[in-house]
Amino acid sequence: MEILNYTEQHRAFRERVRGFLEQEVIPYADEWEQSGIVPRSVWKKMGEQGFLCTGVPKAYGGAGADFLYSVILTEELTRTGCTGLAAPLHSDIVVPYISSFGSEELKKKYLPGCVSGDIITAVAMTEPDAGSDLASMGTTAVEDGDHVVINGQKTFISNGLNCDLVVLATRDPDVGNPYQGMDLYLVEEGTPGFEKGEKLDKMGWRSQDTAELFFRDCRVPKANRLGQKGGGFMMLMDKLQPERLVCAIMAVASAEHILELTIRHCRDKLDLGRPLLKGQGNQFRIVEMATEVKLGRTFIDKLIADHMEGKSVVVEVSMAKYWTTEMAQRIADGCMELYGCDGISEGFPVARAWRDARIMSIFAGTNEIMKGIAAKFMGL
Amino acid sequence: MDFSLDREQIAIQQAAEEFARGEFDPEAALEHDQLREFPSEIWKKACELGFIGVHIEEEYGGQGFGRLENAIIVEAFCRQDSGIGIALALSDFGSEMLLMYGSEEQKKKILPRIAQGKGIITVALLEGGYGLASFSTTLRKEKAGYVVNGEKSHVTLGGLADYLLVACQDDPDDTASQSVVLVENGARGVDVASMGEVVGMRMLPWNRIGFGLVSIPPENIVGEDGKGMAQVRDFLNEMRIEAGAMGVGIAQGALDMALAYGKKREQFGRTIVTFDAIRNKLADMYMETELARLVTYRAAWLFDNGNPEPRSALLAKAVGAKAAYRVTYDALQIYGGFGYMKEGHIERFYRDAKVLDLFLEPARVERGFLADEVAGKRA
Repeated sequence: MEILNYTEQHRAFRERVRGFLEQEVIPYADEWEQSGIVPRSVWKKMGEQGFLCTGVPKAYGGAGADFLYSVILTEELTRTGCTGLAAPLHSDIVVPYISSFGSEELKKKYLPGCVSGDIITAVAMTEPDAGSDLASMGTTAVEDGDHVVINGQKTFISNGLNCDLVVLATRDPDVGNPYQGMDLYLVEEGTPGFEKGEKLDKMGWRSQDTAELFFRDCRVPKANRLGQKGGGFMMLMDKLQPERLVCAIMAVASAEHILELTIRHCRDKLDLGRPLLKGQGNQFRIVEMATEVKLGRTFIDKLIADHMEGKSVVVEVSMAKYWTTEMAQRIADGCMELYGCDGISEGFPVARAWRDARIMSIFAGTNEIMKGIAAKFMGL
Repeated sequence: MDFSLDREQIAIQQAAEEFARGEFDPEAALEHDQLREFPSEIWKKACELGFIGVHIEEEYGGQGFGRLENAIIVEAFCRQDSGIGIALALSDFGSEMLLMYGSEEQKKKILPRIAQGKGIITVALLEGGYGLASFSTTLRKEKAGYVVNGEKSHVTLGGLADYLLVACQDDPDDTASQSVVLVENGARGVDVASMGEVVGMRMLPWNRIGFGLVSIPPENIVGEDGKGMAQVRDFLNEMRIEAGAMGVGIAQGALDMALAYGKKREQFGRTIVTFDAIRNKLADMYMETELARLVTYRAAWLFDNGNPEPRSALLAKAVGAKAAYRVTYDALQIYGGFGYMKEGHIERFYRDAKVLDLFLEPARVERGFLADEVAGKRA
């Protein structure tokens, strides 16, 4: 019995996505790693194929498709080894803030562009002094007539350079309790006072345009607020479940992919005259890794099913994010070891996979925060 | 039993730490790492002050110290900066083999140049794998001397080295007969190529070196004709102790950085060093580092006291490299998102630690060697 019921349509969709990525992404992945950004034209092509925001309702230009389509896209994109095309972030993490909490006008104005690839989105929460401790953020939004005036700085923002629209977390300095004073505003690129910083130089995810964002007396219409005034923190909490689930899906997919490549490498690579795969020690090592990957797969497939049934699985998703992202790093590490001296060279895919894996236990809430959330919701 | 360093060793340690603090500029290191540049200026200064080749006997221009003093210096350098430390430590990679097996002439000619910073030496060993049973690079005897033919991979500092010690197969049909020969870089037929981008240890060139019918005179055989593999094994054994010291230094450096960051970084209204999540990591990091230091110093001490047993050296490398990897991993986690940025510096330590783990041989191969030590070789 399958945990997830993929239909023929789902399978056909996966084939179509894979074919597209093989033609439009994989051949350019190395080039984008060098340039540190993915060209907008690829986002546009993704949109034309109907690969962005598949979950957005038809009324706003989307396909109104189920979450499995998002899962398929996330898995297939992960398999390309191209981290820069952060479509899962856009489609399954940022845009749902707009579709779930945006006013009718905001939805009409922005969602069709998000689906078509004309609008690339980012979400900005982290600040230099507010990482795990989100409530301590210093970016303020002060009401002034029909507008709010925003001042502050965000950092480590994925799609930071390509983004046309930012879901920006701010706080109202007049509200004492930081959890009640938080709001999310949609800020368009080009709004006076909103500036993008330099691209950040990172260990991995090098084709991803991660940047700082600056807001200086940036005037944004009050109508660009998502949800009720003061509801920012609750909205963030609400969307963390899918965000962390997407992370866990990426982690498992990346582990599956790199292990597959490594097994292929060990089949061909000779050591003392016989393939690496023929040594019992190496075989057992691979079996151990494959076991971990299968445990991860089974766990997240169950969580995907639960999430699709609308269950609240905050504890399990926190566990999955922590465990799968560390598992993915153990696998990348074990694969490096099997590659041996070849693993040192960036010419083999394992080195990049290893570098890319390292951020997963930090972004979308560090694994320490994941354990904290699980502890809290387990009533410990 | 006495675990303390003597006064001279403590003086060496302090001098090395002081030198590293004064000369290893983090911003310059960032650039060397990015551009894959050997830190030549620092290397020259280190040579002038006598930090390179301390194990070389005084009559050959060195200090006549042992493995332990060498380990102390390598540790101090890598603690301050993983990349610069490793680059300096490997600038005399192979001098150990010359000391053990080289002829008087070879030692007199080459070793003073290494210690004085006038030359760099390296060893060309691997051919794309770790199988050390036989080499495809051959050494053929001719009337006037020998001819080397073949290709080596993963030669650290290959492009900058003046002297290459090349492990060769004497007779393709006799798997037990190998020799090590000295080839001067730039000799006719020597073709050095870059291996391209590497994930860590980026301040050293990593090279593929082709030897296309390179002629060498008979006096360039290092040690005994036909006994090359045993010499290589002895050399690797000694190098594992140095690799262990690199691991100890990288681990200690990462622990220093993580602790300083944890005391400074505030979240939830307090410094993060006050959280169990961070404190327990710091305790683990300390355990790993101290464990690695103990086994590395012990291996060095045994070596210096006439007992270069392979199992202790293997232990030093395996535990040292693993400690470096685990400690830098935790340090990066403590740094959070900033740790993933180049400007955080810790990611460089982490990458260097991973490559150290694969350097000489990966843990899976070390495990096999250790198993041979523990259980005896398979018949």
